[in-house]
Amino acid sequence: MKQHLGRQSGVQKVEVSLIDGKVDVTPKEDGQIDPAQLLKATYDSGVSVAEMDVTARGKVVKDSSGNFALQVSPNRSYQFAGNDLSQGLESLAGSPTVVTLRGQLYKKPGGKKKPDNSQPLKLTILEVQKKE
Amino acid sequence: MNIRKLNKLVLFGLMFATPFVQAQITHVDMRVEGMT
Repeated sequence: MKQHLGRQSGVQKVEVSLIDGKVDVTPKEDGQIDPAQLLKATYDSGVSVAEMDVTARGKVVKDSSGNFALQVSPNRSYQFAGNDLSQGLESLAGSPTVVTLRGQLYKKPGGKKKPDNSQPLKLTILEVQKKE
Repeated sequence: MNIRKLNKLVLFGLMFATPFVQAQITHVDMRVEGMT
């Protein structure tokens, strides 16, 4: 799995801890990393993902449907899954403020439900680390 | 004169490019199951 993930675009380093089932991925600075692709690559290597958390820096944007999202590159943004923390960031939409936050992009559905990889990943904000 | 114009162009370029340079995913961690 480590080699499989290491071959994905935008990945600089992969560290796997067999004891606690943790996989740490350090992205390259080129901003090409695609979390959805990492999820797929992990499944393809025969391992199932229980949770995926990211630390990301970006600007808060509002799309044409009125949804708020974090734009992490000119062509990639992640819609917020609404919670108190995301509501606190909504006023920053359209401003040049760059926020750094930790959030959850994926959590395995409960029970024996098959994960649905066709839906775009939504970002549940866990912690707002910085606004600059 | 041309150098001044060039300097302005570089400055404007940096102003627009900087937010996107700063924006990025800096770390990803996953909890996985079924790993041997």
